[in-house]
Amino acid sequence: MSTPLLDRAAALPRETVPPLVDLVTALADNKHALGLRYGEWCSSGPTIEAGVAATAMAQDELGHARVLYGLLEELPGAPRRSEHEWAAGDARTVAFVDRPFPSWSHLIVANLLVDQALTLVLETALGSRYLPLRQRTRKLIEEEQFHAVHGQGWLLQLAAEGPRVRSVLDAIIREAWADAVCWFGPDRGGALAPLVAVGVLREAGDAVRRRFLRQIGPLLRDAGLASLLRADGDGWVPAEALPWAEWDESRRRMRRG
Amino acid sequence: MQRIGDEPVYEVFARRVDGEPLRHVGSVAAPGDALARVYARSIYDEESWIELYVVPRRAVIPVESVRTEAVDAHA
Repeated sequence: MSTPLLDRAAALPRETVPPLVDLVTALADNKHALGLRYGEWCSSGPTIEAGVAATAMAQDELGHARVLYGLLEELPGAPRRSEHEWAAGDARTVAFVDRPFPSWSHLIVANLLVDQALTLVLETALGSRYLPLRQRTRKLIEEEQFHAVHGQGWLLQLAAEGPRVRSVLDAIIREAWADAVCWFGPDRGGALAPLVAVGVLREAGDAVRRRFLRQIGPLLRDAGLASLLRADGDGWVPAEALPWAEWDESRRRMRRG
Repeated sequence: MQRIGDEPVYEVFARRVDGEPLRHVGSVAAPGDALARVYARSIYDEESWIELYVVPRRAVIPVESVRTEAVDAHA
């Protein structure tokens, strides 16, 4: 017998509402901030095509944020959010997207790490028992496929420019690394674990992190930028222990910065 | 991998409805097929195409042209 769908917020088990509010708020705020950051490069990308692609990704991200803010309106206790009333000081964003990207390489690292971390979390809601989340997820994921290809293609192109550029990229990846890799939550998901237990998410924590690292590991290796992770069997693991003591579960970001 | 700004050109073709000929709608410069697809989607999405393709310009073989040198190069 299949598990019944939860077709409205009132059907959610009470203990799942606060973590779902925190997660959707953080997803939406990060997407809104990414949209703003991408948009700032619409006329200053390294090529005309790159600028137009940044604009298209900005439109996608702002649209995704709007969809997710709509989801928040249905959840009790959710903070008030709207794409028209963006308050950066209150936003639950990772530090890397808080300020304008100082270089195109920063945009590409955000594209590759932050954007794709958010996408992998959204993918865990594709078959969600919570119908309002499930209904909103598929189109977002489809659009994100192009963002992933963009980040991967550009990383390889930048890395091929030579050791000086690779050194800069390596430093930028280090800036974004902890927030991106911790975004899936500790172990079995930490605060997200109750959402997995009732089928709102398919999985969280290490399981999603392993897929993320399997996705970016070969790419970073091919780009000569794999100093922060190492191959482990048929997958990849962080080369250093993740800084969980600094991780803020409700805000979904490192406390520093 | 080409240096940024020296990427090869891809011609972009699209079809609006079934039965309509595939038509040339423009071009993009990209370092490889994957980014060419991303760029074509970004730039030429103003219409609801049922099909959209990119073709490396180097794969387009001239048959006749007023610029005979282009044809001669492939003869």
